[in-house]
Amino acid sequence: MVYVKRGISVLTFFMGLTIFLVMLSFLFVPKNNMTEFGMEEVTANGILGEKENTIDVIVLGDSESYTSISPMHIFKETGYTAYVCGTSGQQLSYTKTMLHRAFEKQSPKIVIMETNAIFRKVSTVKAIVAKLSDFFSVFQYHNRWKSLNLNDIKGKVKFTWVNDFKGYQYRDGVSSGMDKDYMKPTDEVAGIPLLNLNYIDKIKSFCDENGAQLVFLSTPSTKNWNYSRHNAIRQLADELSCEYVDLNLLPAEVPINWNRDTYDKGDHLNYSGAVKVTNFLLKYLGKTQLLTDHRSDPAYEKWHDSLKKYEADIAEKLK
Amino acid sequence: MFHFQSYFSVQYLVFLLPITVILYAFLPQKARRVVLLVSSYLFFWAISGKLIVYLLFSTLSIHHIGLWLSRIQTDEEQRLQVTVKEQRKEIKACFLKKQRMVMAFAVILHIGILLTLKYTPFFASNVNTLFDFLHIGISVKIPSFLLPIGISFYTLQAVSYLFDVYRRKIPADQNLFRLALFMGFFPQIMEGPICRYSDTAHQLWEAPSIKWQNLTFGIQRILFGVMKKMVIADRLNLLIQNVFGKPQSYDGFVIMIVMVCYTIQLYMDFSGTMDLVIGSAQIFGVKLPENFQRPFFSRTISEFWKRWHITLGTWFKDYIFYPLSMSKPLKKLTARARKKVGNHFGPLLSGAIALFCVWVCNGLWHGAGWHYLFFGMYHFGLILCGNIVEPFVVRATGKLKIQRDSGWYRGMQIVRTGILVCVGELFFRAEGLRLGLDMFKKMFTNFTLTTLHDGKLFSFGMDRYDFLIVFVALIVIFMVSIWQEKGISLRAQIAAKPIALRYAVYYTLILAIVIFGAYGAGYVPVDPIYASF
Repeated sequence: MVYVKRGISVLTFFMGLTIFLVMLSFLFVPKNNMTEFGMEEVTANGILGEKENTIDVIVLGDSESYTSISPMHIFKETGYTAYVCGTSGQQLSYTKTMLHRAFEKQSPKIVIMETNAIFRKVSTVKAIVAKLSDFFSVFQYHNRWKSLNLNDIKGKVKFTWVNDFKGYQYRDGVSSGMDKDYMKPTDEVAGIPLLNLNYIDKIKSFCDENGAQLVFLSTPSTKNWNYSRHNAIRQLADELSCEYVDLNLLPAEVPINWNRDTYDKGDHLNYSGAVKVTNFLLKYLGKTQLLTDHRSDPAYEKWHDSLKKYEADIAEKLK
Repeated sequence: MFHFQSYFSVQYLVFLLPITVILYAFLPQKARRVVLLVSSYLFFWAISGKLIVYLLFSTLSIHHIGLWLSRIQTDEEQRLQVTVKEQRKEIKACFLKKQRMVMAFAVILHIGILLTLKYTPFFASNVNTLFDFLHIGISVKIPSFLLPIGISFYTLQAVSYLFDVYRRKIPADQNLFRLALFMGFFPQIMEGPICRYSDTAHQLWEAPSIKWQNLTFGIQRILFGVMKKMVIADRLNLLIQNVFGKPQSYDGFVIMIVMVCYTIQLYMDFSGTMDLVIGSAQIFGVKLPENFQRPFFSRTISEFWKRWHITLGTWFKDYIFYPLSMSKPLKKLTARARKKVGNHFGPLLSGAIALFCVWVCNGLWHGAGWHYLFFGMYHFGLILCGNIVEPFVVRATGKLKIQRDSGWYRGMQIVRTGILVCVGELFFRAEGLRLGLDMFKKMFTNFTLTTLHDGKLFSFGMDRYDFLIVFVALIVIFMVSIWQEKGISLRAQIAAKPIALRYAVYYTLILAIVIFGAYGAGYVPVDPIYASF
C-alpha cells in the first residue's frame, strides 16, 4: 500500500511538473522570428517568415554552408528557391531542429547537408537539451526571462520576418589559404561520432518520410576538409543511398582560387568563392529536374523584391 | 565512451547516478557494494582514463602498508606479553621506530607522488627564474604531468587512513575492496569531502537498502546544490573571467565588486558541489561529513576556517598541527617561552610555528603558485594576529563596556571577517601574485563609481537582470542559512507540510533552475572550481 501511495505521489508530481513546463514553454517561446522577440539564430530562422510552401531547397550545416551558398543567386539564375538554415558551429542536434522547423511550413524537394557539421561531436548536454526542447521549448528559450512582456503572455506566435539574403551571409576580404595537398588521396576513413551517425539516420528518415531528397555536399575548405573525411562521407552516403558531391575534388567545375576566394586562409569562402560554388550548385539542381522556375510566378513576387535588395546590398558591399 | 566533465554534467545526473541508484535498489546487499565500486571506477576512468592506475596503486599500497603496520603492532603486543616490565620500554621504542620507518616510507610514497605530479613544474620554473636572476646559463626542462582527478583529495584520505592505523585508532582493514570503496566512492572522489576511514568505510560497505526519506532528502539536497551552482556560481562566471583576465582595464570599484562576486562564486560552486555530493551519498544511506557550516556567519578568520572546507581543516589539524605542536622540540620551546612571556604568549610561539606549517601546506594544497602560498600566509598572518591581539581586545571592550555578544558587535565582526576573506580570495583567484597586488592596490588608488553611474558595470559580463537574479537567489540562501544556523532542519520541516505546499517548494526549486540556470546558448559549462585543486 505504501508503495502504491508513493508511486501515485511520484506520478502526480511529474504530471504537475510537465504541466508547468508546458505552460512555461508557451510563455517563453519567441512570438516572432526576430532578435527583439528572443529568437535565436535569426538569419537561419528567417525561413519561418517565408510564405507557406515556397521553398524548394533547404541547406543545413555550419558556417561553411552560409558562406558558400547564395540562394538569391540561384533564384536570379534559375528561379529555384533555396534557403540556407546553416548556423555557426552547428551541431547535428540543432541541424535536426532546423530541419523540422523548416518542414513545418515548407515542403522542400531537396535537402542539402553541408558535411563539415557531421564531424562536429554533438555534446550529450546539447543532445538532451535539444530533445527536451522538442517537447518543452522553455529549455531552449529560458534565458528570455529577461525580456518577457505582456505580449508573451497573451500573444500568439506569428513569424513575419524574412531575410533578403535567404540565409546567406556575405563575407568579403581576402586572406590566402593555399594548401595544394589538402586533398591528397588516402585510404584512411575519418571517424564520425556514434551520436552524430544516429542524428544523420534520423535526418535521412525524416527526409524520406517527407518526400525530400537528401544530398551531402562538401564545400571547398582547405582547413576543414581532407580525403579521409571525403572517404567517411562517401561511405555514409553509400550506406544511406544518398547523393554525395565533394566540391573539393571538382576543381574544374568549381575553380576556387585559394589566393582570392577565401577570407580566412582557406577556412571559409568569401563572396567570389561563394559565387563559384553557387554557380555549380544551380546547375546541379537543374540536372535533378525536380524543381521549377518560379521567376514568373506571381506567388513569388516578394522574392523579386528581395533580389533587388540583395543585389543592391551586394553592389554596395563590393564598392 | 561517457565523458564526465563534473558532477553537474548530464552524464552524471542523468546517467551514472540514476543508473547506479536503480541497480543498487534492486540488487541484494552484497551486490550493492559491487555496484558502488564499479560505478566509482567507471566514473574515475571516464574522467581520468588510464590515470586510474594512480588510484589503484594508492589503494593497494595503503592496504599493504596498513597490514604491515598491523603486523608490527601485533608482533609488539605479543613480545610485550612475554617480556618483563623493565624491558618493555626498550621493546616499545624498537617497535615504534619500526612503525615510524614504515610511516615515513608510506608518507614519502603518497605525498611524493602528489608532489611530483602537482608541483614539479612549479618547482622547475622557479629554479629557472633563479638561474635567470643569477645569470646562470642553465635551464631546467619544465615537465608536465597529467593529474588524475581528485588526487589531492584521495591522497589525504590515504595518508589519514595510515596515520589512524599507526595511532591504533582503527584496525588495518583486511578487506581490499572495502578500502577501495572508501578511497574511490564516486560522489566524493573529485572534490571531497576528505573522509576518515572510521566515518565512511563501514557505512559504504554495509550498503543499506535505499530508504524513501534518504532518497527524497538526497534529491532535494542535490537540487539545492544545482541551484547554487547553475543559478549563482555559473552566472557570475563571465564577469569574473573578464575582469580577472584583464584587470588593468577595470577601475577599483569594478575590481571590488568582482572580488566579492568571486568569493560568492567560490562558495556557491564548492558548497553547491558538496550539496550534490552529500545528497548523492545520502540516497545510498551514506552520511558524508559536512564541509561547510555557514562560513560567512563567522566572527573571526579562525572561526571561518572551522566552517569552510571543514574536512581539509580538520585533516591539517589532526595530521600536521597537533603532531607538530605536540612534538618534543615545540613542547620544550613552549615551556621555555611560558617562563619568559607568560601563559598567553608562551604557547603562541610554538603554536605559530605549527600554524605556519599548516598554512604553507594549505596554500600549496590549493595549487602550485606563489599566489596560493601568499593566500596561505595571508590567513596565517590574520589568525596569528587574531590570537595575539585577543587579550587586548577583551580588555579594551571590557573597559569601554562593549557587550561582545551584542548584535551590532557580532554583525561588525561578521562583516570584518567577510571583508578579510574577500581580500584573500582576490589573491587566490588573481592570475599571479603581482596581478593580485595590482588589483588590490587599484581598489584604493583608482576607486571611482563612474561605471555604476553610466551603467557600464552591467556590460562586463552580467547585465542588471543577472545581478538581480543572483541577489534574489542569495537572499533565499541567506534565509535558509539562518534557519540552519538556528538548528532547524529545513528538509524535515518541509517534509512535515501538506503535499501541496511541499510540491510548491519542489516545483519552485526545479523551475528556478530551468529558467534562471546559466546553461544553453551563450553559456559555457563551468567545471567545478575545486576539482582542479
